[in-house]
Amino acid sequence: MNQPASNQHLLRRQFLGLSTAVAVGAALAACGGPSTSGGSTAQAAADVDFSGVKPAASFDFWSTHPGKSQDVEKELIAKFQAKHPDIKVNLITGGADYEEIAQKFQTAQAAKSGLPALVVLSDVWWFRYYMNKSIIPMDGLLKQLDFKLDDFRETLVADYGYDGKQWAMPYARSTPLFYYNKDHFKAAGLPDRAPKTWAEFAEWAPKLKAASKARFAFMYPALAGYAGWTLQNNLWGEGGGWSKDWEITADSDANVKALQFAQDSVYKDGWAGVSSKDSADDFAAGIASATLSSTGSLVGVLKNAKFNVGVGFLPGGPASQSPVCPTGGAGLGIPAGVPKEQQLAAATFLKFISEPENTALFSAATGYMPTRKSADMSTVLAKTPQIKTAMDQLAVTRKQDNARVFLPGADQEIAKAAAAILTQKADVKASLGSLKGKLEDIYAKDVKPKLG
Amino acid sequence: MTILDTAPAPSANRPSPRARRGWSPRRRRDFLVFLAFAAPNLLLIAVFTYLPLINNIYYSTLDWTLGSAEATVVGLGNYLTFFTSADAPRVLGTTALFTACTVGGSMLLGLLVALALNAKVRGTTFARAAVFAPYVLSGVGVGLVWLFIFDPGYGVLSWILRAFGATSPEWINDPQLALVMVIVVYVWKNLGYCAVVFLAGLQSLPGDVMEAAALDGAGGVRRFLAISLPLLSPTTFFLLITTMLSSLQAFDLIRIMTPLGNGTSTLIYEAYLQAFGAYNRAGYSAAISVVLFAILLLVTVLQLRFVEKKVHYA
Repeated sequence: MNQPASNQHLLRRQFLGLSTAVAVGAALAACGGPSTSGGSTAQAAADVDFSGVKPAASFDFWSTHPGKSQDVEKELIAKFQAKHPDIKVNLITGGADYEEIAQKFQTAQAAKSGLPALVVLSDVWWFRYYMNKSIIPMDGLLKQLDFKLDDFRETLVADYGYDGKQWAMPYARSTPLFYYNKDHFKAAGLPDRAPKTWAEFAEWAPKLKAASKARFAFMYPALAGYAGWTLQNNLWGEGGGWSKDWEITADSDANVKALQFAQDSVYKDGWAGVSSKDSADDFAAGIASATLSSTGSLVGVLKNAKFNVGVGFLPGGPASQSPVCPTGGAGLGIPAGVPKEQQLAAATFLKFISEPENTALFSAATGYMPTRKSADMSTVLAKTPQIKTAMDQLAVTRKQDNARVFLPGADQEIAKAAAAILTQKADVKASLGSLKGKLEDIYAKDVKPKLG
Repeated sequence: MTILDTAPAPSANRPSPRARRGWSPRRRRDFLVFLAFAAPNLLLIAVFTYLPLINNIYYSTLDWTLGSAEATVVGLGNYLTFFTSADAPRVLGTTALFTACTVGGSMLLGLLVALALNAKVRGTTFARAAVFAPYVLSGVGVGLVWLFIFDPGYGVLSWILRAFGATSPEWINDPQLALVMVIVVYVWKNLGYCAVVFLAGLQSLPGDVMEAAALDGAGGVRRFLAISLPLLSPTTFFLLITTMLSSLQAFDLIRIMTPLGNGTSTLIYEAYLQAFGAYNRAGYSAAISVVLFAILLLVTVLQLRFVEKKVHYA
């Protein structure tokens, strides 16, 4: 390329001019994003009552289709539209799991556009939406639609209560369940039931290992995403917990004792292993004689296992034998920032799918717990009698510790501490002490300032 | 672009004031043609590259929870928090180790594979395709398959180890081993790219020089060290920049193989974890992204300024 120097100069000057204009434009545009002036009207608008509001003609419902529920969700929508032909439900896949839908929902919140009127939110995400004022309390809608809560299973509804208000409704709800290989238990001469306590299982474990060809008597669930959830069972049994209200108690003596027991089961006694991906798969593949996994895994385990599968309540500990089972899974929430007409339409649909026959239909298709006490589960139980144990266990579930479900990122920190203890033989007391510091830091930085 | 302007320039470097003020119709037309071609691209780059970059720098000065409509301006607070926390040495250390091992590993193994492929034997076309194939595969798919290989419970590797009476290490749960696992898979996936680029470099080496050296009695190793390697330096330099930039931005394998980032949290993954993965600290995450941007810029400038001086262009 050959050109006069003057021309080069002019073009360069023009180019620089253009670039400056672009940069200035971009800098001006950078003034978008969150407001830094303080004060928001989102919460104030949320408390407005819904009397006189007419439901919108259509709304978007973002789901992860938990438990492969896309077909049953479509079936429920078809049933709803037969009853309410004037409300159209647009079912949209919001992500493959709870994290993906959370990312998409938060991005839509940040962009202030494309928000759904109904969204699937998991046990560890809904509180962040509450803190960010991204969801509205349901109370006004419940009143407007005469949506009564007395037939719902109490713990499942109570999970979404905060500050005297109801922030979501239960949808795809699960609990952990104790799975055991009946054939291995029989070969070891053990009773055909889940152990009552972890101490009892520790007595059984050597016999189980000797009699079965399995590598482990017990497989701890994969730590990513599950450690904080299922380990609550071990902690509660010893009288501990991740927190007491907002006080972080991660390094309490009871917790140290519970996790020392778990570490010994892996290293000292050698009867337990830690799953790398999914302990239900490991169990179904015959690698371990027993495991803890979600009730949502039941249908899959029964299908894949080539042995007789037994299920039971979660074992207790010396301090408490009940309730030692946490609830889990996902609920449905109504976002702020969408018109009230859409919020009302979404709540109308939510009320419909929560009716006893519809929650039974959803439960039958997915293995999640029916949210209503009066749901007729006889057809489901005739096909999969093991679900009865999971349903009975609902009566003895306990609300999860604030530290696990209300602190953003706490689940990840708990999982890392559990990985250090259970897979690297780290000192239990020191690991839990360090975890406590991290959880307190998250509370102080990301939660306390927003609670007012 | 050829510019056919014949107006004489008063000096070699500076145009006269008149030339700056008034453009000839031809020059104006040329400029409009330039704008017609370049403006759409400039606009796209501005909207999709520079605008997010500037926005990100602005967000890095905020204490902002992702999804929240409100934020507080904290100035350099997020940077201060990052550099004074335990996160900084951990994340920067992991990033440096991951980058050094993946860049060194893919380039060294890529060169060895390229030397093997350069040999005049049968089946090199197939071997070349086989070596390059992992590079074009989706990172997500590669990650999932390798997870199955490494799984200590029922992975292929654990099965082989058990056949020899050994037990599988905790590849996924142990942070140190998780980093080793991700590095191994990353090198496997990317060495094909280095091999193909090195191979192109090797095949363009001047045959006469090689022949002359051989006639003078230089052996294979000597010829490689004294002739091939120095003449390959433009290729090596190119690969050093490109692989280092892509290693610093490696995301898919880390996300799929170690979602917690336990031991594998490089700068880019930490930025993701902080904003989207768990903590929702959008401002803090933006600050980490700016740190990554500064490092990428610095690495590129240093390489262009100092490493390029050592390059022999034929």
